[in-house]
This record gives sequence, C-alpha cells and structure tokens, in this order.
Amino acid sequence: MTTLALAPAVGRVPRRSRPVREWLAGTLFVVPATMLLLAIILAPLLCLLILSLTDYEIGAMQIRWLGLGNFEKALSDPVFRRAMGNTLLYVALVLPGGVILGLLVALLVHGRTRSRAFYEVAYFLPVTATLIAMAAVWQFLLHPKLGPVNGLLKAAGFPEMAFISEPSLLIPTLAVIGLWNLIGFNMILFLAGLTAIPRDLYDAAEIDGAGGPIDRFLTVTWPQLAPTTMFVAVTTSITAFKVFDTVAVLTRGRDGSEVLLYAIYLEGFQYFKIGYSAALTVIFLAFMLAFSVFQAFQLDRRVHY
Amino acid sequence: MFLTKRSLLAAALSAAAILPAHAQQITLDVLYCFPSFARFHEPVAAEFMKKNPNIKINFRAPSPTYDDGHQVILRSALTRQLPDIFYSGFHLLPEMVRTLDARGQITVLDGMLAAEGAEFAKTNYPQSLMSLAVFNKKTYGIAFNASNPIVYFNADLVKKAGGDPNNFPKTFDGIIKLAAKINDPANGINGMAYDVHGWPDSWLFEAAIGQAGGRLLNAEGTDIAFDGPAGLNAMKTFRRFVTEGGMQLIDWDQSRQQFGAGKIGIIFSTPAHLTQVTGLVGNKFDLKTSTFPMDDPKNGYIPTGGNAVVMLTQDAAKQKAAWEFIKFVTGPEAQKIVVEMTGYLPTNARASGADFLGPFYEKNPNYKTPILQIDRAGPWGAYPGGNTVRIWRAQRDIVGQVMRGEKTPEQGLADIVKTTRDMMKGA
Repeated sequence: MTTLALAPAVGRVPRRSRPVREWLAGTLFVVPATMLLLAIILAPLLCLLILSLTDYEIGAMQIRWLGLGNFEKALSDPVFRRAMGNTLLYVALVLPGGVILGLLVALLVHGRTRSRAFYEVAYFLPVTATLIAMAAVWQFLLHPKLGPVNGLLKAAGFPEMAFISEPSLLIPTLAVIGLWNLIGFNMILFLAGLTAIPRDLYDAAEIDGAGGPIDRFLTVTWPQLAPTTMFVAVTTSITAFKVFDTVAVLTRGRDGSEVLLYAIYLEGFQYFKIGYSAALTVIFLAFMLAFSVFQAFQLDRRVHY
Repeated sequence: MFLTKRSLLAAALSAAAILPAHAQQITLDVLYCFPSFARFHEPVAAEFMKKNPNIKINFRAPSPTYDDGHQVILRSALTRQLPDIFYSGFHLLPEMVRTLDARGQITVLDGMLAAEGAEFAKTNYPQSLMSLAVFNKKTYGIAFNASNPIVYFNADLVKKAGGDPNNFPKTFDGIIKLAAKINDPANGINGMAYDVHGWPDSWLFEAAIGQAGGRLLNAEGTDIAFDGPAGLNAMKTFRRFVTEGGMQLIDWDQSRQQFGAGKIGIIFSTPAHLTQVTGLVGNKFDLKTSTFPMDDPKNGYIPTGGNAVVMLTQDAAKQKAAWEFIKFVTGPEAQKIVVEMTGYLPTNARASGADFLGPFYEKNPNYKTPILQIDRAGPWGAYPGGNTVRIWRAQRDIVGQVMRGEKTPEQGLADIVKTTRDMMKGA
C-alpha cells in the first residue's frame, strides 16, 4: 500500500524486490478464500458469540447484555445437564460399538470373495437411508404390541419391552439405531484400511510362527489398522455427538431423553430464546472443536510413526 | 415467443389503463400453517375469488407447524414483511398478540364487527369460540379451525366387553371401568390410551382438569388454580388409566397405530384426525366417537385447539378486502368445505344447519360429536411469563412418572405445582 502511494511522487515505478512481489501475489491469491471464510464461517460465528452474551428473543423490541449469564444458567439448567449426560451416554455406547462392530463386519466381509460386493452393499444401505424416514420404520418395528421385534422377543420367552417408551431404555434404543446407521460407513473405512495392508506382512508373520487367524490379527492387522481406527473413532464420536434426528422423530425429548442438539433446538425454535440457544451452541461447538483438535494432533502423530 | 420488451411494456400499460375502470385490484398475502391444509385453504380461496373478482388471494408457502408459523410472523414483524392475513394457533395467539400489538402490527376487529350490525356476530359466531381471540376486551381474531378432544372407541370391543356402544359412559370413572373389561393382555389388547404423558401440548392435561370443573389458572390469570382437589383428582385419574384401565405408556402415534389395528378399546384424540383414523380402521371394526367425559357437567369445560384468522395489514384498502376474506372463511360455505375434509368443529353457528352440513352429519354421525360439546368449549390456557411450551414439557415428564407409579399422585402434583410456579416467573 505504501509503495503504491509513494510511486507517483518518485516519478518512476521502482522495481520491487522479489520477496515483496511474491508476498503481494500470495496475498492476492489468499484474499478470495479469506473473504469467503470471513463471510460464511467467522462472521456468523462472531454473531453467535455476541448473541450468546445477550437475552435476545425473536420479535423482542429490546435486547439486554447478560455477559456470561447464559453460560451460568446452562450449568444449573436441569434440562441442559440431562441433555449433556444423555449425549455422553449415547457417545459412550455408540463409540465402542461403532468401532468394534464396524471392524468385525469389515473383517468378515474382507474374507469373502464372491459375495463380498453383496455384503458391502447390504451393510452400507442404512448409511444411504434417510434417518428420519427410517426412524418411522423403527417406531413400528419396536412397537410393543404390533412390532416384529417384540414378536420375536415374546416368541423366545422374553417379556414385552417398550423400547421407545420406557425412560431407561430410550437412550440405549437410540444408540442401537445410531449404530445400525453407522456400522456400514465404518465398515467401508476399515475395508479401505484392510486393503492397504501389504500381503507380505502376513507371509512374514506366518514364517515367524504366527499362523492362526487370531495371531495374524493381533500381530499384523490390528497394528496396521491403528491409523484407520483412530480416524474411525474420531469421526464416530463427532457423528454421535451430533445425534438429533432420531430424538426429534422418536422421542421428541420425552421423559428426559433430550440430547445436546435437541436442547438447542428446543430453546431456539420452540421457546424462541435465541440468546440462550446461542450460548448452548457455543458450548456444543467447544466440544466439537476439542474433538477436531484431538483428531488433527493424533492423526498427525500417527501418520509418521 | 416473439414478445419483445416493448410489446410487454405496451401490454402492461394497457392493462394498467383498464384496471382503474374496474374497482381497484387488491392482492392479499395469506399465510397458514401445515402444508397439508392446502386441501381446504385452496378451494376456500378459489370460491372467495370467484365471488370477489377484484380481490386476489396469494398464499405464501405454508409453515410446517404452528410453532414455525409463529416464528415466521415474529421474524417478518422485524423486517416489516408480514403477510396481510395469518392463521395463528390458539395456544400461541396470546404471545403473538402481545408482541405485535406493542409494535402496532395487528388490527383489532371490533370496529368492523360492529359495522356489520348488532346481530351479525351473534348469529354467526358461537360466544365460546369468539372469546378465544379476545384479549383485554379487544377482538384480535376469529376462530377458523376449532377442535376439542373427543373419544374414539372400537364398538366391537366395547360390545364384547358387555358395554353399549350407543350409550357410551359420560364420566372418566365409567370409561375406566369399561376399559378394564376390554383389557385383554393375553390377546395383546389394551383397554384404553389417554396419551397425556407424551402429548405435544397441554391439551389433554387441561382437558382432564377442566372436565371436572377445575381451572388451569385463577380468574385474573396470574397464578395456577389446579394446586388442590382438581389437580389431585386429575393425577389420580391418570394413574388409574394404567392400573385399572389397562393403559400402556407408549407414544401417542403408536397408540393410534395400535387402535387402528383393533388392539386398543378406547383412545382420546382430536377430531381433526377423524378422517385419517377412519381410513386407518377401514372395515376392520366398527369405529365410533363419543363426547369427552364430563365429571362435572355444570362447571366443566374442555380446551379448544385449532387456529384463528388474524388481520395484520395496516393499509386501509387492504383491511377492507381482508375483512371480506375473513368473513368468508369463517362463513358457513367455507366452513362446510373445511369440516367435510377434516372433521374439525365448524366455527360458524349457521354451518351445521340443514342448508350446509346437516346432510353430511346425517350420513357421518362420527363427525357430529365435536358439535355436541361446543357449549363446553373453553379457552386453551397459556401461562403468564411466556413459558407455556417449556412448562408443559416439564409437567409432562412428571405426569409420566405418576402414571408409571414412580411418584404418588400427591407427590406428582406437588412437583408439578412447584415447577410450574418457578417457570411462570420466567426462570
């Protein structure tokens, strides 16, 4: 900028040194992306942060500055605390389940030769299904009187279970549906990981005496899959943290089954407390950020091991 | 395809030249909730435009639910892009009126009503429905869709249990005793379902209190009025549904599915679902409806759901046109169209007469039930403090605990009272 303003006074355009020209060109190239980043992500985020410090409600004529009041309120808000607990429980169920079952299915499918394509498609189908529409199907499947699941349970001599009515079963049931939706995706990731393992490692293991399938798994497959597993674990936890649609359709937060995103939705879109809802969103984002940072660092380390 | 800019301009100019010869063409922007309601909003508007060629009705994209519509209105109030006419859910109306009135963005209808003559309101609009849109003695809207809870029952199961389908019990006690006889767990049949524990709004909760002569709020509307025998009676009744009536706590749409499959004897729901449930049942069994029970027929009431049409335009010419539209949609011809398609209660007193819905009711007696209880239609309460939705969600979970037997009715009522009072303060 300074160079440009001075140029006419000097009378001739001075040759800028190479580093300056490179710096200018670089800056110019970065500007469009920066503007987009500002407009689409950073500016809305700033608005969110500002709103989270106020008591703004849709349609209200005035707006009050609360400072950290909303965050203090969140800590003592029984609904939010419940939502937080439910979300953590949901993640605790879906994370190990999604990783272990995804790996198990991948190992089984990987061993198939002719039927592999069929199993891949079969397990991947739930991923492509719209969870909202499928939730309606689950609602019927799990119906205590009409649903086939309870039909099977009763035929096997078990008592009838009201899966989406009994409060203590709500979150576990949602977690099972979440797993059903997620396993196919994790399977594909693990399959990619499995395909990348060099065959000669298995040959070497065999020569060294690790011939059984369990030995082979423990000495070759599992260590080789470590980066994939880390990636799957992080994406699974992020997906689990964002659980919303099954809650919105199946329980509507009934009987204390609110999760984080549903609590945010209730505050913002049912109660119209935009300020408070923004504060909850900030808390949610902080969690997501923690996960993403963890992922970035872990993956970075693992890639060069 | 050979239209040029110039020919378009010429056409526009000539159209503009013709228009003043007619009366001024007025376009009204109208917003309603629930896209599926297009099935009656569209024909009603078409009929209106046929009769009033100089007024054009332009529907905005309908909002998915009352809550979404409410939000759209509050947002467009800020940007001054309100529709001219809106259909607001009764339970959200007080909050909307409060917000828009402060901003001078809603029209009071009393002047226009009075200009129609003293008899007009009396002959057309039932007083019980009229009062639903009156705040501070000013009329802000007119009921368009109205419904109060009714009983759906499986007449085959009732007969099998020794009951008389043509003489259905009129009290909760009678219904619970009948349900107990219907209940048949061995064959997967539940006696009844009163899905208050999972209902999206406080409708069934208030109905249970109101029918026994209790009130949700005191006369001034400043505090709850069910923290005594009225509330306790309701809580005990809820628990009896489960212990005696054979009710299972499932979600309300699961109940409806199960009822449609012939596996529940008695359910309580809105008449707006009547057409849907009739289709679900088909020929599987004999579906009948009955009025909501009234433990206290003298002082009892049931809350009214549905929506009122409100005028938001502040332009004098548009207000005149909007008033014509409001009169039409709440008139008997339009109400006939709406009722036949849904099962809603007609909001016009003349609509159920022989000239309009009489023959329809003759043929479909199930649809007549809501009318039989119209004189008991009361307001659907909203708590002071603007936290009505949040309050209900908290109350609902406690009601569920009482029904499951985790809390005694006394403990449950005490908890509900405390929670409600805390939240009414705006906490």
